[in-house]
Amino acid sequence: MPRIVRWVWGVSAVHFALGMLAYAHFLVTGTYTWLGWYFWIPGTVFFLFTSGLEFLLAFRCTSGFDADEPMRLAWTMIAAAAFARFLGTVLIAMRNWHLGGSALHLPNSGAVISFEGLGHAGAVVGGPLAMVFLAVGLARVLVLQRRFGVLGGLTRIDRLLIALILAFTASQVVAVFPLLAAHPPLSTALLWLSDPLLALLLVQAVLVRRAAARIGQGLLARCWGMYVLAIVATSAGDAGIWATGQDMLSPSLEPISWYIWFLAAAAFACAPAYQLAAMSLPLVRPVVRVQPPFTGKENFRAL
Amino acid sequence: MEVQAVSQHNRPKPDTAPPAELSRQMLRWSRLWCGPASSDERHAVRTRLSAWLERCFGHRAGHLLTRREGELSLASSTPFFAAFLGRRATRELSRSVLRDL
Repeated sequence: MPRIVRWVWGVSAVHFALGMLAYAHFLVTGTYTWLGWYFWIPGTVFFLFTSGLEFLLAFRCTSGFDADEPMRLAWTMIAAAAFARFLGTVLIAMRNWHLGGSALHLPNSGAVISFEGLGHAGAVVGGPLAMVFLAVGLARVLVLQRRFGVLGGLTRIDRLLIALILAFTASQVVAVFPLLAAHPPLSTALLWLSDPLLALLLVQAVLVRRAAARIGQGLLARCWGMYVLAIVATSAGDAGIWATGQDMLSPSLEPISWYIWFLAAAAFACAPAYQLAAMSLPLVRPVVRVQPPFTGKENFRAL
Repeated sequence: MEVQAVSQHNRPKPDTAPPAELSRQMLRWSRLWCGPASSDERHAVRTRLSAWLERCFGHRAGHLLTRREGELSLASSTPFFAAFLGRRATRELSRSVLRDL
């Protein structure tokens, strides 16, 4: 496991342990004081840290390919998705922390942007916009995987999963369509794109997972596996929001569904770390010893 | 200076290198590059490539390439490495595979 990945999961474990303390306080006292503080400050810092790290790593992956290489576009899109997530987190943090008063005053134009507006913009940028970039990037990866025969055919379970995802998405689109007649705000309408985009990402995740299963557990397979984990965790978080809206979760269980977003953020940060580790491995001149007679064991200097 | 002068005197100039020697070298490199292999050198190339494929992709990647391309060699694996790792990393990887051969 690359050092950065160990580091991310280590920080995530500490952060999660802190979150469990806050949740335990909530269960015992019934107040949201600790939970509120936890998600407001350490939670936001965690999202800033993971999305910023994800962007840096994805940008380095992009730089490892020449301009005419097909994966350059894929990683450019993935880096753009990471940047969108980071920018969205920054905007939402500005709203949550009320930096500089009740509104943002732009010095040159004299315009005033409410922090609530920043929060909406952050949700759109970090949500649907980031998903669009990621979907384009993963589509490029899938095309390349198919070209080299890594993708292979879909199993019956894959087809069933895809059918379920598409059916659920269709039901959500049908439910939302009449609401468009009420001319909702642009940010609200754009946020409604999250479900169909998430469905597309889930379908891509099923395909990517199929490709990863065909080749084993090397560094690149783990990179793609992290994207599957991140997308599934994001979908689970979305399902948690939906369940909360439908009053399907008791007040004591509701906060549990908030923690899944940290798992998604950590997985998004780890994915480009694996790609970077695979690209860097030949450049650090590992020692490869062939044991006579051939035993299949090779030694690599650890990254 | 003397060592340089002597080595320049002993090294055959390219336009006077025996064609048979040049041909032998090119044939050797083409066998290392393309396979199929029966000698120790080509076995080493295949083993190192398998190890790289396993490390970078997974333990089944080698079988995937062999099934697709017929033989695991630098010729068959380089496009695969270059597509997912990039040309620069693949160049270094190839150097590592051919080191000491």
